[in-house]
Amino acid sequence: MISQYHVKLVPGDVAPYVLLPGDPGRVPVVASYWDEAREVARNREYVTYTGTYRGAPISCTSTGIGAPSTAIALEELARVGATTFVRIGTCGSLQTRARVGDLAIFDSAARYDGASRLYAPLEFPAAADHAVVTAAIDAARSLGVTHHVGTALTTDVFYTPQEGVAFGGYEQSWAREVYEDARRQNALAAEMESSAVMVLTRVWGLRGGAMAVVSDDVFEMVGETGPFDAETTFDVGAAQMERLARVGSETVRVLAGRDAARRTS
Amino acid sequence: MSVQYHLKLAPGDVAPYVLLPGDPGRVPLVASLWDESREVASNREYVTFTGTYRGVPISCTSTGIGCPSTAIAMEELARVGATTFVRIGTCGTFQDRVRNGDMAIFDSAARYDGASRLYAPLEFPAVADHEIVGASIAAGEALGYPFHVGTTRSADTFYAMHPRPGSSFNDYWQSSWRDHFEDLKRMNVIAAEMEASVILVLARIWGLRAGGIAVVLDNVLRVSGASGEFDPQDQFEHGGDEIERLARMGSEIVRIVAERDAARDPPRRELDVNPT
Repeated sequence: MISQYHVKLVPGDVAPYVLLPGDPGRVPVVASYWDEAREVARNREYVTYTGTYRGAPISCTSTGIGAPSTAIALEELARVGATTFVRIGTCGSLQTRARVGDLAIFDSAARYDGASRLYAPLEFPAAADHAVVTAAIDAARSLGVTHHVGTALTTDVFYTPQEGVAFGGYEQSWAREVYEDARRQNALAAEMESSAVMVLTRVWGLRGGAMAVVSDDVFEMVGETGPFDAETTFDVGAAQMERLARVGSETVRVLAGRDAARRTS
Repeated sequence: MSVQYHLKLAPGDVAPYVLLPGDPGRVPLVASLWDESREVASNREYVTFTGTYRGVPISCTSTGIGCPSTAIAMEELARVGATTFVRIGTCGTFQDRVRNGDMAIFDSAARYDGASRLYAPLEFPAVADHEIVGASIAAGEALGYPFHVGTTRSADTFYAMHPRPGSSFNDYWQSSWRDHFEDLKRMNVIAAEMEASVILVLARIWGLRAGGIAVVLDNVLRVSGASGEFDPQDQFEHGGDEIERLARMGSEIVRIVAERDAARDPPRRELDVNPT
């Protein structure tokens, strides 16, 4: 098989278990916590490393920002043999109980993206695989990382058209209360890729899940503090990334161990 | 607090754990498997029994058919202290791997209902609490029942949306129905029923817990076959021990959830939702 069009991977290049950060710059950082790792492909926003983490085969591929580029990564990774997908990203909290530095484990996502609805209508749920959710909880627990389980608000816009956020004060009425309503719906945090990961894996009969470290509070970001400036308000420091990489890799190890136990029983 | 308007229940009448069948006639049947039980209310399609099952407090309330009456049952049960909801019902399937008599465990639902979208927009997921899904898998394994975990399609119609004329009265049909079942099959949806979506959405937005199981009575695509004729009385597989197995598995799920709740340190916070 010739290599996949965008991610430049062929069968054998990736493990069945793939971590999915958005930022290509984070892939080598994630891989630095493994036993061993090598870069297997690099093209556009897609960087892939493959290796082993505490004995478990593991890969990490960046998706770029947003559901469209993520859907392409999922399609091509599935074609070369990936079966279990775990998004590892950052998010903005919608609930006061989820603080900056905590980990959000997403068991589902609200589908304010475009790509997933071209695969399945909005009625269809963006729900994570149960085994991935429980493995993520167990991984966070074993590493002592404060975590919350809940629904992601996945949207296609970072600069939401609301006052103080979008350029030039551009505003739309639908956006005015979208975060407040999501908070009332008990949604946990906002980010930009989880819905596509969950919908695509579910329709294919593969496994998907997602987790994200909280880098900001959405309501503080759009609050009285003046214009939104991600550079100064987001906390995506090295400690946050290490926590995310460790829990993500540990989630894969837990899943791989349980899969192996199931095969032999 | 006076009794709830439709269910005729007051605080203290129900356990935190409630089984939700659709049919009021099944409530006493479910309760007959418990250590002890009593009827605490009966009004319209809503019948409630409360008791204990293998030492665990448990209730069973019928919802009637469909999401509107189910949403009313959820609202009023939550007001009198229910925190954990497990739908127990019957369903059809879209998948050939799922056989009649198998159990479907719902980890999520496709929202082809009206009531749930009046609570939250369609973008919002109808997803079960992972603790209920985990307990359902454990119950299925312990009882040795064949089961499948996946998405159900919850719709507001029983007789509509079939691929060919014949399901609705007088051969009424719409072209938008033609590919509905095949599309759901391709989306890997395992079941068709009429209540799960609203149960999952309401529990989630309130910070409560919900899940659901259903016993499979028919293959929707086979039943809606070449002729288009639809006769559930003949085509559904009733009459065995399906409902008893459903009742037993539902009660076992409650027992497992209750035991895991009790074992938690610190004990589980019942309401994990922010004040608004």
